[in-house]
Formats: sequence, structure tokens, C-alpha cells
Amino acid sequence: MAMLKTILGNLLRPSRTRAPADMPVVPPTYRGALTHDAGRCTACGTCAFVCAPKAIHFTQEPGISVSWHFFIGQCSFCGLCEQNCPTRAIHLRADIPGSMNSAGGDGLRLESVIHLQPCTRCGAAHVPLPAATMDALWAAGADEAERGYCPDCRRWAASARLRTAFTPDGAVAEGGRHDR
Amino acid sequence: MNLIERVVAISRRRSPWICRLNAGSCNGCDIEITPLLSPRYDAEQLGIELHGTPKHADIVLISGTLTLRSRQAILDIYDQVPNPKAVVALGSCPSSGNVFAGSPLVLSCSLDSVVPVDVWVPGCPPRPQAILDGIARAAKLLEDGATKSQLAKSRLAGSQPESRCGRLS
Repeated sequence: MAMLKTILGNLLRPSRTRAPADMPVVPPTYRGALTHDAGRCTACGTCAFVCAPKAIHFTQEPGISVSWHFFIGQCSFCGLCEQNCPTRAIHLRADIPGSMNSAGGDGLRLESVIHLQPCTRCGAAHVPLPAATMDALWAAGADEAERGYCPDCRRWAASARLRTAFTPDGAVAEGGRHDR
Repeated sequence: MNLIERVVAISRRRSPWICRLNAGSCNGCDIEITPLLSPRYDAEQLGIELHGTPKHADIVLISGTLTLRSRQAILDIYDQVPNPKAVVALGSCPSSGNVFAGSPLVLSCSLDSVVPVDVWVPGCPPRPQAILDGIARAAKLLEDGATKSQLAKSRLAGSQPESRCGRLS
């Protein structure tokens, strides 16, 4: 009788054991599809430098934007870019990059555009710091104006602070602009 | 499309036979094919069967970096597969050469310039379910008559684009 139940059960159940959709789970540390957060990227180029197969490169439109390019067909998913990114802009998600029909090109290319911002002091276009870094650097409101500064003006502001610390009468020559 | 053609098209999707071609791979992708045939991933639920000879295959899985030595072998084996056929490229190597690009005797070019590729499965190596998904896509393309070889054949007989990459001359 038990055998009959098994046979009936097998006849009623679909023949396959597992649908393609419910596959064994991917481990959470799996290095799969790569994502890039333009808001956190400072375009320092570390990812392009550490990438062994040279899957990452940067292009720039001077004064407008810097673009981060990634070609998945050249990636070996080693995770060095994620490990070395100082602002954690790159993340390798656990989900699997899907397969692609060749109609969409010879593979997946990602592009992420980082828009340059004009410096609030000298007007030079620069890549803004990520918001989290800005909050850490300028937590108190004292130097709030430095948020929009370009790296050169930030350096100038820091040295100006140093000079006022040495000469407390505030003899800093205003308008000491950096050369560019 | 009459009934018989429809049945043939459906059976192409329901029972794709694959053959594996290592074009100079590190064997990572080939090792990922092995669990695909095991009960854990169970490729045979989709009717996929691995065959040793390209003459019985519908879908060719090509893995690995293209080398100067393997280029002619790829072309020969591709010609032996009966029409209609589909090509699935496994991993990063066929599309660019990956870390081996620029090495001596490695063709640093896409497999697409040697044989027409229908599905690219990214990963280094791709997971077995990604390979399974790629084969299922290729089988669907075979059913629809949308693989590159089928489209080239229906467009005009035997005018495949001349493969340029790595030609010795």
C-alpha cells in the first residue's frame, strides 16, 4: 500500500526535482555583479590601478564630468577594486550577473558619470568629496564654507588656519590665491 | 510555420545537446560545468545532455582564452556542428582574454570575431546556475530561429562575415 502511495505521488508530482529558478543559494560573500556609486566616488583611480585585467578605466570631459567605465567581459571578479576603494564606492553584490544575448553588444559595459562641481572660492571644476567624508571633516559649522572648495582651495584654507594659529592678530593676507 | 516545423522548433528548446570546447581555458569554467550535470543543479531537467562529439550537438559551450593554436580548432569544430547551432561563451576569457590579454600567442580579441556568439555568460568562472541560464537562453534562441547562424542563413545563404582576428598571413 505504501508503495502504491509512492507511485501515485510520483505520478502526480512534476518530473523534475528543482526548477531552474530555485537553485542552491549563493553565499553572501560571493563576488558577483559589480556596482558603482557615483556619489561616493572621488575619481582617484585606485580601482583602475589595481584591476589586473584592466576592466576599469576612466575617461573625462574636462570641466564637466569624469566617467567610470567597467567592462564585465574583462573582469575576473577578484574584488581588489572593492577592497582598495577608499570611499567604498565599488561593491560586488552577491547576485549573479545574468547572461546576455549578443544583440546587446559583446558583453556588459557599465558607465557611471561623476559630475564635476565648481569650487565655491576659485570656481575651478573638481570632483566633490562624498557627503559622508564631508560630514566627518566638517562636522561643526565653523568651516562650513570649505565644503564646496576644490582640493587646492582646501589646502589654502588649511594653511591659512595654520598661519592664523601662529600669528593670532589675523595678519593673513586675504586673497592669497593659489596658482593654476 | 506548419505543425511539424513547430514541433521541431519546440523539441530544439526542450532537448538541447551540448558539447564543450576548451579553447585554452584555465579549466575553471569546465569544472563549473561538471556540477551542472550533477543532481544538485540537474541540467537534465531541461533536457540538456552533454555530448563528446560536436556532430551530435546543438549548442557549443566555448570556454577559455583564445589562442593562436586553438583558433583553427574552434573554426573546425564549429563547422562540424550541424545547423541550426548556437554558441555560448563561458566566462570573461572568450570576450576579452581577461588577465591573459596581451600574452604571447593569446588572441586579445572577442570570440565574436572568430565564430558568431549567441549568449555570453559573465563570471570568472560563472556559477553553474548562470551557465544553465545561458544554455536555456541559447535553447530559446534556437526555438525562435534567432541564433546568429540561423539569422545569417535566412538572410542569405552562406555569406558569413569573414573572421579577421588572429589570421596568419
